[in-house]
Amino acid sequence: MKSALSTLAGAALAIGLIVGPTLAADDGIVVYNAQHESLAKEWAEGFTKETGIKVTLRNGGDSDFSNQIVAEGAASPADVFLTENSPAMALVEASGLFAPVDADTLAQVPQEYQPTTGKWVGVAARSTVFAYNKTKLNADQLPKSLLDLADPSWKGRWAASPSGADFQAIVSALLELKGEAATADWLKVMKENFTAYKGNGTVMKAVNAGEIEGGVIYHYYYFGDQAKTGENSKNVEMHYFKNQDPGAFVSISGGGVLASSKHPKEAQAFLKWVTGKGGQNVLKTGTSYEYAVGKGAESNPKLVPLADLQAPKVDPAKLNSKKVTDLMTAAGLL
Amino acid sequence: MAFVDDDRLHFRPRLRFLRPLPPAGNDTASGLMLPAADLARPGLPAARSARLRSSSWILLAAVLVSLFALLPLAFIVWVAVQTGWETVATLVFRPRVGELLVNTLLLVVLAVPISIVLSVALAWLTERSDLPGARLWAWLSVAPLAIPAFVHSYAWITLVPGLHGLWAGVLVSVIAYFPFLYLPVAAALRRLDPALEDTAAALGLGPWRVFTRVVLPQLRLAICGGSLLVGLHLLAEYGLYVFIRFDTFTTAIVDQFQSTFNGPAANMLAAVLVTCCFVLLGLEVLVRGEERYARVGSGAARQQQRTRLGRATLPCLALPVITTLLALGVPFITIGRWLIAGGADVWRLDEIGLALGQTLFLALAGALLATVAAMPMAWISIRAPGPLQRILEGCNYIVGSLPGVVVALALVTITVRIALPLYQTLFTILVAYALMFLPRALISLRASIAQAPVELERAAASLGRPPLKALWSTTIRLSAPGAAAGMALVALGIMNELTATQMLAPNGTRTLAMAFWSYSGEIDYASAAPYAFIMVAMSLPLTWLLYVQSKRMAGR
Amino acid sequence: MSFLEITDVHKHYGPVAALAGVDLSVTSGSRTAIVGPSGCGKTTLLRLIAGFEAPDRGRIVLDGEVLANGGAAVPAHRRGIGVVAQDGALFPHLSIADNIGFGMARGEDKRTERIVELAYIVGLDKAILRRRPHELSGGQQQRVALARAMAMKPRLMLLDEPFSALDTGLRASMRKAVAELLETAGITTILVTHDQAEALSFASQVAVMRDGLFSQVGTPRELYLQPKDRMIAEFLGDAIILPAKIADGFASSPLGRIAVDTKERRDVARIMLRPEQVLLKRTSREGMSGTPEMLFGEVTESEFAGSMCTIAVRLLNSPDPPDAAAIGNTPLILRKPGMDAPVVGEIVRLTVSGKAHVFA
Repeated sequence: MKSALSTLAGAALAIGLIVGPTLAADDGIVVYNAQHESLAKEWAEGFTKETGIKVTLRNGGDSDFSNQIVAEGAASPADVFLTENSPAMALVEASGLFAPVDADTLAQVPQEYQPTTGKWVGVAARSTVFAYNKTKLNADQLPKSLLDLADPSWKGRWAASPSGADFQAIVSALLELKGEAATADWLKVMKENFTAYKGNGTVMKAVNAGEIEGGVIYHYYYFGDQAKTGENSKNVEMHYFKNQDPGAFVSISGGGVLASSKHPKEAQAFLKWVTGKGGQNVLKTGTSYEYAVGKGAESNPKLVPLADLQAPKVDPAKLNSKKVTDLMTAAGLL
Repeated sequence: MAFVDDDRLHFRPRLRFLRPLPPAGNDTASGLMLPAADLARPGLPAARSARLRSSSWILLAAVLVSLFALLPLAFIVWVAVQTGWETVATLVFRPRVGELLVNTLLLVVLAVPISIVLSVALAWLTERSDLPGARLWAWLSVAPLAIPAFVHSYAWITLVPGLHGLWAGVLVSVIAYFPFLYLPVAAALRRLDPALEDTAAALGLGPWRVFTRVVLPQLRLAICGGSLLVGLHLLAEYGLYVFIRFDTFTTAIVDQFQSTFNGPAANMLAAVLVTCCFVLLGLEVLVRGEERYARVGSGAARQQQRTRLGRATLPCLALPVITTLLALGVPFITIGRWLIAGGADVWRLDEIGLALGQTLFLALAGALLATVAAMPMAWISIRAPGPLQRILEGCNYIVGSLPGVVVALALVTITVRIALPLYQTLFTILVAYALMFLPRALISLRASIAQAPVELERAAASLGRPPLKALWSTTIRLSAPGAAAGMALVALGIMNELTATQMLAPNGTRTLAMAFWSYSGEIDYASAAPYAFIMVAMSLPLTWLLYVQSKRMAGR
Repeated sequence: MSFLEITDVHKHYGPVAALAGVDLSVTSGSRTAIVGPSGCGKTTLLRLIAGFEAPDRGRIVLDGEVLANGGAAVPAHRRGIGVVAQDGALFPHLSIADNIGFGMARGEDKRTERIVELAYIVGLDKAILRRRPHELSGGQQQRVALARAMAMKPRLMLLDEPFSALDTGLRASMRKAVAELLETAGITTILVTHDQAEALSFASQVAVMRDGLFSQVGTPRELYLQPKDRMIAEFLGDAIILPAKIADGFASSPLGRIAVDTKERRDVARIMLRPEQVLLKRTSREGMSGTPEMLFGEVTESEFAGSMCTIAVRLLNSPDPPDAAAIGNTPLILRKPGMDAPVVGEIVRLTVSGKAHVFA
């Protein structure tokens, strides 16, 4: 026991020498990744394999990263920022922290999947859906619009994950489409009507188990689970709102290079690769089941084609995440 | 244990200063000694100042550590001031905060008493009855600590998918945290002087009345300390309640953090949570009172007798069996089930190996830092106790009782605004760990320093060692076992830490807990299982240490 | 008539026999002291009488009621036997008043008055009642423990080394006070102690225990002056043990011809004298001459200790047979009043008063 302290200290030192470097990689680029870890990992690995440039991923969420980057300002260690939704990109852009995306990269993505400013670019897309339990709901009992879920008849019957950036992006679309007053009212009723879960996957799992009839989530959770065991989605059916409804919102996942990046060339190359053939092909063949947005890039054939979703037109640069969290905090959802 | 009796977050009267021998009259050498070898009575002013002078560097170190520990608190006050009263009021006095307050309150009010009853019953059965396999049950009553609270929750949600809400929260909380009460209560039961119970019986009290009128009142300190610890953990826990969809302040703070980073709303929730912690701390001080329950009188307490259960043995056996089934059976069966379902595919060895290595590194480095930081404080609290020392120690304990999410939030803001180069560095995360787990290291260290007589330090000094070297070659050497035990406990805490790690860890970090959380967040319970398994497997030996330590502290 | 009757009581702890067949009879209203070295089983016996443990074998009968018969035992709380433990065993979480009133029924009439009265009886100030045990001195704690035990009006009082934690001076006065108090109250008492002086002065009956058995039971005087064997003799006080040849009520020993307490005749025997039976008278070397029947010695060591002084006396003209010379040359250790004790080098004349005891 006498030497236990020194043994422990020695062990700590030894492990430190082995592991320490992995904790503080300073070669290659740092990507603040709010996308699904598995997708970003595939991108990073593909990119590194092709270019030899090392990528260090820091995983987190849209909102905490965007706020963090703003807080970090010019000293941010990040080179690239990847999100699941647009509002986070808009926040960073509003603070003037993005470098313009290379023209070659922008050219790889259609206009509708990038902001007019060209400060960042769409890298993938996802559609809002109403996932429901088919043993509990028939197709004719489904809500026609996202706004219908505020109806008293839906009280206690639907779920969402309000703390997630996904749902907050949907709310930001609602805000952009219907205005602040209508959004605030809807959120207030939502607080009474819905059941909160943490994470869209958990919402789907609950729907599948029949704990709740339906939930507002994104489309790919269903396909991802189906591709695995289907254990959490075998009773789940997807309802697309379509008709330019706020509930048919297609959220653009963005990628941008930070103005403060110390490796701008490598960072731009990464973004180019992600929006190019290699990166977009990962979306088609991988397990993410998100929509590909590159010109000529195909999404996974299992998905309902992006063009058929009748999504409302929203300028991604205008989505206001700060206002959304304020409204949701005021409504008691956060 | 017991970091438990013994890992309790208390300020209580310390061991008295060990009085050295008065100087020998004919010892001419004593007149020539160095100041550090001062053999005069400590009561004399000159001697006191000499001692303090020689130890002033230690005091300085302790003050620095304590001031550092106060950063998170100072930060919350600062944010509140900066935010302005109006905004603070709108952010604090709103229905959502009320909701969270009610949830948190109900959770504490329900889970703590249930834990007390369960722990006292188990402790009595394992320590004072002839329950078959008492030693095994005693260890099994500590073992649930090896399972991180969020793994308990993960297990239950697998077993009962719809489990949610208050009662689910109470159930899983009790199962995950009752050992924090069991340890001190069992240790206190072991220490009780059986003569008191004999006397009460001789005075005509039946067994049950002896228990309620003599035994139970003497367990008050242990119950208070353990309850406080359980209560603080309930306030700080995140993962457990996310799984079963029960919102507390901590989950709400993380939600806010994820939505707005370090916005004022998150910080104000943190302020309310800190207030809750203070209320708990104050409540405990109030209930504990200024009682003294130590043995009155001298002489060795005789060996305690164990009560014969007789025909009640089987029903009594049901309690530890059911508790073990719920607290250990459910997690092990669930993890086993997912491991089988996942097969070889979920053992992504490169990924798991990296996470394991990083976790071990963080745990050991954090434990080392916490122990080193605790050393001056521990030394002072034994060797030079006084009002200043009590204040300093109080700082450390208060910060140690703050939820990880609050400490992390504070460090995020401080580093981002003031010391950006330190943001998300190894340094910051280790500092966070040290702040959070300093009390664990402090308690173990203090106990072992108390057993290293000051005379040795003086003897070393009289043999010509300068103060620092004298300290190193005697007290620090002798307190090594205590330091090692403290380090193990800190490491255990770090290994299972989730919120602060997620918020502060350097880029590229992925600890076992983070990996587990990320997989279970994607409902990939099978992939999460190996991580849960490794965390439990690594923690089990540490809880064994805890168990042994609590036995030793009770003098057995 | 026997009030407490203990018959053939056995108690084992694992392979260790704590009690190996103990018999004891205690008369009503008497005070009995059980004395023996630590670990001899005396506390175990006390615990069996109190009912904290059950004997493996044997009977304990109190006032006609069988308290224990083999494993079947009346539990402690139904025995009505008062116990005062070594350190008082006061309940640290209760005030002194609540400690004293612990055994009383909660709603008992005049509870407070009785507590005050009991405190008065054991010599405690009323003001002390509101304090906590740790605020009291050792002597006060013992008084509280006694008052607490007396509050339940016990049939039998067991005292488990209650004075051992007290200072020497306090011990004697407490012992006396307690003895008188219990005498007045008419409570039969058993005291367990390892202090022979305490046992001898406290009790009307002393039982010496060794290795789980009583080696001798009797009055203090009997035990002190007529111990059964050397060990009992030495346990109960200093003893001078000499080889001797006895006949016709006298012994020829290294100390000359000494009266003994038996008429039997034995060529090889051992006799015991208490040191206080050996009297010293100052004389000088000159005074030795011409008185061959007298016994003289020289003081070789003297250790002053206040009231008493321990001195060693080497015999100068022992009539000892040569084969016992070794013993005869060993100095006698005697304790004499310090005031006028002989100093080293002085010559003294030794005489023996009273009879020597012959070991069987």
